[in-house]
Amino acid sequence: MLLPAPRILAAELLKVRKRWLPYVLFLVMVIGAAAHIWLLGYANWANENSAFDAFFRNETLRTFVLPHALPALLQSGQFWGSMLVGILTASVVGTEYSWGTARQALLRGQTRSEYLTLKLIGLVMVASVGLLAALGIGILFSLMASALVGEEVGGSISFGAAILMVLRTGYTIIPYGLLAFALTTVSRSTTLGVAGSVIFVVLEAIMIAVLSGIGTAWSETARAFLPSHNVAAILSANRIEGGEFFSLALRGQLLPVSLPDPAVAALVLALYCLVFLAISYAVFQRRDLQ
Amino acid sequence: MATADPDVVLRTVGLSKRYRRLLAVQDLSLEVRRGRVYGFLGPNGAGKTTTISIILGLIAPSGGHVEMHGLDTRTHLSEALHRTGAILEGQAYYPDLTAYDNLRVWAALSESVTAARIDEVLELVGLRDRARDKMRTYSQGMKQRLLLAGSLLHDPELIVLDEPTNGLDPAGMREFRNLIRELAKTGKTVFVSSHLLGEVEQMCDDVGIVKEGRLLTEESVSALRRRGEALELRVTDVERAVQVLEALDWVAGVTRADGRLVVDAPLERAADLSRALAEQHIYLHELRRREGSLEEFFLEVTGDAPAGA
Ligand SMILES: Nc1ncnc2c1ncn2[C@@H]1O[C@H](COP(=O)(O)OP(=O)(O)OP(=O)(O)O)[C@@H](O)[C@H]1O
Ligand SMILES: [Mg+2]
Repeated sequence: MLLPAPRILAAELLKVRKRWLPYVLFLVMVIGAAAHIWLLGYANWANENSAFDAFFRNETLRTFVLPHALPALLQSGQFWGSMLVGILTASVVGTEYSWGTARQALLRGQTRSEYLTLKLIGLVMVASVGLLAALGIGILFSLMASALVGEEVGGSISFGAAILMVLRTGYTIIPYGLLAFALTTVSRSTTLGVAGSVIFVVLEAIMIAVLSGIGTAWSETARAFLPSHNVAAILSANRIEGGEFFSLALRGQLLPVSLPDPAVAALVLALYCLVFLAISYAVFQRRDLQ
Repeated sequence: MATADPDVVLRTVGLSKRYRRLLAVQDLSLEVRRGRVYGFLGPNGAGKTTTISIILGLIAPSGGHVEMHGLDTRTHLSEALHRTGAILEGQAYYPDLTAYDNLRVWAALSESVTAARIDEVLELVGLRDRARDKMRTYSQGMKQRLLLAGSLLHDPELIVLDEPTNGLDPAGMREFRNLIRELAKTGKTVFVSSHLLGEVEQMCDDVGIVKEGRLLTEESVSALRRRGEALELRVTDVERAVQVLEALDWVAGVTRADGRLVVDAPLERAADLSRALAEQHIYLHELRRREGSLEEFFLEVTGDAPAGA
């Protein structure tokens, strides 16, 4: 696949930069991080300070005091991030159809695969910057809250391990972005792309719960193929010192032992990505654009 | 893949496009020559936009192919498009970007375009002062001019325009026509669609008339005009005059219309005609040159004329 020239990439980023949607989505992510650290974490802890027994006390501290706050933030960030990246993708891809501007690029000699690749690279860059910045702000909140509490929770991770956690989590967002990409490319509609990817995330959460409830061999197999089950498996590797597994129960509530191997899960997600990409490129290559 | 004639900048060969049961374009072959303004004339729904979209590679033809700059676009589309500029039907700009940023985005897609070139095309279409305004605040005429600027950024040899004067007022139309004539003077080839006959007549060197997806005729505007030319006369002896005139080899035909004769002959033969009649002692009451009208011809070929015209 051809990499776009820097000036073409800069122009693609200019288009995204001048829209208001990415900033709104970023704000939502920051609000999410604030809610996590301050409401779910700090306020919870401060309210029930004295009555708490040691276990719950510690548990609550772990939601907002580093290093445990990192996997916790990543866990909820993954859920909201998947949806918001889906919305961003659908909007960036879909408006080029509604504005008729996809045609402008193609009639200037950009090939169809170059066009899609450029969109993907631009989206990855914008989403990465937004998600990382939101995470940075979340960590900042966590440091502030920790300072207010003034208590240690123990545990430590190396910088490398922290980076690995972030990368793992980022990887699990990609299939959701590509789902939105494929939906919008096929339907040519921002609305359908947004609706489709949000509904998918919600529906998936419901299906996981239902399938887990059924508990037969058949339902376990079906569940194993759902992206979010595999996401949960990968996120379960975000453990500090091989210790307890943190879950806010947004994804599967399972313990790591009952989840697929993270490496297998990564492969399943890669397969999803490939399918979404193949659909997008195949459809767009043949598409009449009028 | 080079075409035989380097003078042909754009050629379609047996182009067709089927939408379910509708044949929007049927076996359409046309040729656009270097340095000419070619009017692609046809009523609404004739298949102009469909043809242009096929030429630009935006939609795939059901049959036939396109050669641009001597390149077969089935294999060299990207290369051919780098030497072509276009304005499409309908919106094709970023409404929330300024005009300048729209041009910046498009300029990035052509290697050679510099910042100075952006200013140059803005100057050319007279939008330099408004370049920092968002496109959504532009009037229809300004939008069209900006899109023209966008199509010229990379200094293309061929410019393809789909009804570029749509939505413009008469002054705007004239201004646009002048811009296009100016471009032709600098050696550019222009392919422009229109459903307005008068516009094509004033703006174009050649015209291809399309209806229901078929190309009905393709000729130079001046040749077409000549077709409708005729000499109209009233004479002292109608019967003998017809005999005399029909015997002349430069007379293509003589018809009678309430006491008058309409002679299908070149206008510059008027003197020869009166001499030929006088030699046979037939004299003129009246001799008039009838200018050719493209409109008559257009209505005739498209069959949209009222009965008997
Ligand atoms: N995507 C499509 N699906 C089905 N039919 C189509 C499609 N696009 C065009 N057509 C039909 O093809 C025919 C030619 O349309 P086209 O837009 O090429 O005409 P046009 O000459 O550009 O007309 P106008 O002057 O109104 O712009 C019309 O009958 C139109 O309804
Ligand atoms: Mg049209």
